[in-house]
Amino acid sequence: MDEAFTQGRRRELLTAAGLAIVAALVPLFVKDVYVQNIMVLTLMYGALSQSWNILSGYCGQISLGHALYFGLGAYTTALLFTKFGVLPWFGMLAGGAISAVIAMALGYPCFRLRGHYFVIATIVIAEIALLLFQNWNFAGAALGIDIPVRGDSWLKFQFTRSKLPYFYFALGLACIAWLVTWWLEDSKWGYWWRAVKDNPEAAESLGVVVFNSKMGAAAVSAFLTAVGGSFYAQFVSYIDPESVMGFQFSLLMALPAVLGGIGTLWGPLLGAVILIPLTELTRSFIGGSGRGVDLIVYGTLIVLISLARPQGLVGLFARSRKAVAR
Amino acid sequence: MTALLETRGITQRFAGLVANSDVSISVGRGEIVGLIGPNGAGKSTLFNLIAGVFRPTQGSILFDGEDVTHLPAAERCLRGVGRTFQVVKSFETMSVIDNVIVGALVRNTVMRVARRRAHEVLDFCGLAARANVPASDLIPSEKRRLEVARALATEPKLLLLDEVLTGLTPVEAERGVELVRKVRGTGVTVLMVEHVMEIVMPLVDRAIVLDLGKVLVEGKPADIVRNPKVISAYLGDRHAVGA
Repeated sequence: MDEAFTQGRRRELLTAAGLAIVAALVPLFVKDVYVQNIMVLTLMYGALSQSWNILSGYCGQISLGHALYFGLGAYTTALLFTKFGVLPWFGMLAGGAISAVIAMALGYPCFRLRGHYFVIATIVIAEIALLLFQNWNFAGAALGIDIPVRGDSWLKFQFTRSKLPYFYFALGLACIAWLVTWWLEDSKWGYWWRAVKDNPEAAESLGVVVFNSKMGAAAVSAFLTAVGGSFYAQFVSYIDPESVMGFQFSLLMALPAVLGGIGTLWGPLLGAVILIPLTELTRSFIGGSGRGVDLIVYGTLIVLISLARPQGLVGLFARSRKAVAR
Repeated sequence: MTALLETRGITQRFAGLVANSDVSISVGRGEIVGLIGPNGAGKSTLFNLIAGVFRPTQGSILFDGEDVTHLPAAERCLRGVGRTFQVVKSFETMSVIDNVIVGALVRNTVMRVARRRAHEVLDFCGLAARANVPASDLIPSEKRRLEVARALATEPKLLLLDEVLTGLTPVEAERGVELVRKVRGTGVTVLMVEHVMEIVMPLVDRAIVLDLGKVLVEGKPADIVRNPKVISAYLGDRHAVGA
């Protein structure tokens, strides 16, 4: 029984490695910049959704305010670079650390709230942060920050001639987010989080410190989300509050995981692979009318998928752990 | 040797309601003690106070020689208090084995060891065959067993069983009784709430009867069932006449 479990875990790792290699080879055949751009975004949202999934999927604390951490990552990197000349690589780590600390500071009062009240708190806090950034002159207020581009450089993480470095970085990010989740799944934290999600009172009686578990999940989740935000700032090289902290980012982080399978290892990536190209394609092919037809089509597709697979698309690949373990 | 568990003058008020009033009980090491009484006697309240769900209005709780009155539930679990819930609280989205692993992680930090330990406990509780089934698929009597298994995985010194035998078929109840005896056989002290007297009485070494939030009587099961005070508490005064 133990062996079957270990084998199942190893098989997941091998599958992931295989998929990562295949993904890494795709740009050799796909030279179209527009498609490459979609691939970068897909991987980025896959990584972000995976990060969101740690707090909301595994630990069950549904956040619709993750745009806050995304924005904090983007702003930290951009500010440190433009104002103090700190390289984006350090900015990324700083953004992650700041977000993790803020996530815990916010979690301190908010984790006393349950269910819908918690969700509302996360939305409100992210909106407040958005307003603060819109009025914070040092950070460019509503105009935002233009990151000066001075040619290709790995050091400054800027690439003008090709999207490929961004692609590989995003792929790396997705791999890291997946690996962290994979590792956490079979760790004390992973079990504690799922226990907290299912029944906090029973968890407490089994020695789980519910509050600390939530704080831990929030910190890890916020850290990874902020790294994604830092990457995005470098990728688009211009940020303003609405474009990195808007509510739509919170949704775009939650939706792939929800669609793919909330609280599952593969759900977020699977969801992102379907959802993000769909978003981009509907926008480019039928979005030109200016009447929002793309959003109608997009919304309809999401509703259809959720109706067909309410427990997430990941169930379609139902060689589930249950089957493996038997 | 001191008692494993001792409550001293526990009083618990909820708004205007006095659920426990000056309750002092003690449970010795290795005992199986039954906590019985009619509905509303304050059994569950006392249980939750011992498990650390809330703090008593007055009085103190000593466990293993230490005052644990103000410790939270998770900390008491660490000290060796395990419990089940009257209304079962399985982790429904997790498999049976994963449910038990959560408990096993209290004593084992290495995952592989915790997993092995959890399998042993499942085996002990007769649930080994169901290890990889989602907890939501278990039938009620299996869920009760899972509650016990999960609590046992925390390697408690004192196991609090909250009506684990209530509502089972006679065969299931009989197997439950066996399990409780087996648990005590491993050196775990058991305090169990039940109100089905005919099941509990043959099992326990000692019974404590609560009524209206107070300790009515305590003693050997054989004496308890003949005690007029107990009979009147359960059935009303009329039946106690001539007992």
